[in-house]
Amino acid sequence: MALKAFSQEWMDAWLKSIQTSQEYKEIAKEWEGSVSIIVNPDPSKGIPDPVYMWTDYWHGEAKDFHYCDKAKAESANFVMSGDYIRWKQVAKKELDSTKALMQGKLKLKGDLTYVVKHVKTVNKVVDLLAALDTVFPDD
Amino acid sequence: MAYDQDLEFIYYGPTRVVFGVGSSREVEVEMSSLGCGRAVVMTDPGIIKAGLLDVVKDTLGKKCVGVFSDIPQDTGVGTVNRAADYAKECGADIIISLGGGSVIDTAKNVCIILKEGGRCEDWQGLGMLSGPVTPHIVIPTTAGTGSEVTFATVLFDETKGQKVLTNEMFNAPRVAILDPKMTEKLPPLLTAGTGMDAMCHAVEALHSLQHEPIADGLAIHAIRLLSRNLPACVDNGSDLVARGQVQIAALLAGWSFGNALVGIVHAMAHSIGAIARVPHGTANGILLPHCMNFNLEDAVEAYGMVAEGFGVRERGMDDLTAAKESVKAMKAFTKRIKHPQKLSEVGVKEADLPRASELCMSDGSILNNPKMVIDSSQVLEIYKKAF
Repeated sequence: MALKAFSQEWMDAWLKSIQTSQEYKEIAKEWEGSVSIIVNPDPSKGIPDPVYMWTDYWHGEAKDFHYCDKAKAESANFVMSGDYIRWKQVAKKELDSTKALMQGKLKLKGDLTYVVKHVKTVNKVVDLLAALDTVFPDD
Repeated sequence: MAYDQDLEFIYYGPTRVVFGVGSSREVEVEMSSLGCGRAVVMTDPGIIKAGLLDVVKDTLGKKCVGVFSDIPQDTGVGTVNRAADYAKECGADIIISLGGGSVIDTAKNVCIILKEGGRCEDWQGLGMLSGPVTPHIVIPTTAGTGSEVTFATVLFDETKGQKVLTNEMFNAPRVAILDPKMTEKLPPLLTAGTGMDAMCHAVEALHSLQHEPIADGLAIHAIRLLSRNLPACVDNGSDLVARGQVQIAALLAGWSFGNALVGIVHAMAHSIGAIARVPHGTANGILLPHCMNFNLEDAVEAYGMVAEGFGVRERGMDDLTAAKESVKAMKAFTKRIKHPQKLSEVGVKEADLPRASELCMSDGSILNNPKMVIDSSQVLEIYKKAF
């Protein structure tokens, strides 16, 4: 059954898929740190308020995925933000996340050199997200 | 030339361009048209010594409220913070940069701090600005960096020992004033090195994974102008017609790579530059033919366009042959302009190469290279060939 995007069940499924991926464990063995995802509100698409999601990773393990408030989201090692439509494109693999950053379609606060060095980790996390059967608010 | 069916891109180039011999005297008019009245000029000691600051200061008169000139080659986070403090003390409402890439990139980051507050290190990331920054007019004194029209900057991060990129749409300068007189006194070696920076921007924009038709067109014409005019500038620095054409080429290449981005040549030049302090354009110029060889099979069409720009693509020539001709032409061109050929000629030690190869893997530019770079051993191999 398709999971509703931005629901806790959806985040739990994403977390589980990362935790059970042997390939992820190998690729991400040097990654340390939290990444928050901020989805800008878009009432016309069913996102009336900003969505703040906290994800945390440590040496090949995915630790904790949950919703949070703005202050906590902004305290993550890496803060990625953007419009709903961009996140939907990323989650459906219609938009490459690093390309989106370079084109200004998504924003990043944090050490870009670290992200570049670990770009395979980033791509794997996105791949696993895209593999989920997801229904989006405006589908 | 073919583009994928799913071609999609955003082209952005908001900078107003003023060109002409003596056009630096337009700076006061341009500043007034932006509604500004208190300018701090950012420059460096070499520019002052060459007498170029006098022209700008005379034109601005009392509207020049300060000059900050303590900007080194390979500017860094600390320099930006000191410059921003100075500009705030002066009550600047506009920054005018008079210099090369380091001066311009310092000024761009100062404009962020003046508008958004904080320190330079608070603005690490991509797309973090909330709106347009403090106005910035650029008068380049080299022809290569293209920074006068891009929204990217490169800074040396002293704590990491690495060059770091910023990419902020809102940080494009408002006005670029290209005055060929401002580059007239550049010595031949610096003319060649900065010119190869522009050449490298054009080639890298063409082979970037994010290349697109507008950026491609700008890049091809930049290569055309550089191949025809840079040798004349090296031979006779007072040739203001050639100087002007090379300035325009550098600007076109800046618009091109500012949108299409760059690849492995820049990642490698940033990395070896951070370690061995090789001037950026010189590192680019040495590495470019070697990186083109590395990329060749994945950038055949792009290098076919380089061959067109150089005028070495004969009618009916297939892409692969044209691409190979472009690499030969590039190598011959660097020799023609008496550009250094090896990293060992410009102060690099063999022991620097492994560390530079590792640093290269975390440089944002490498993401756009047409041939995927899987590990640092591939980079090391190129460095060794260029050593």
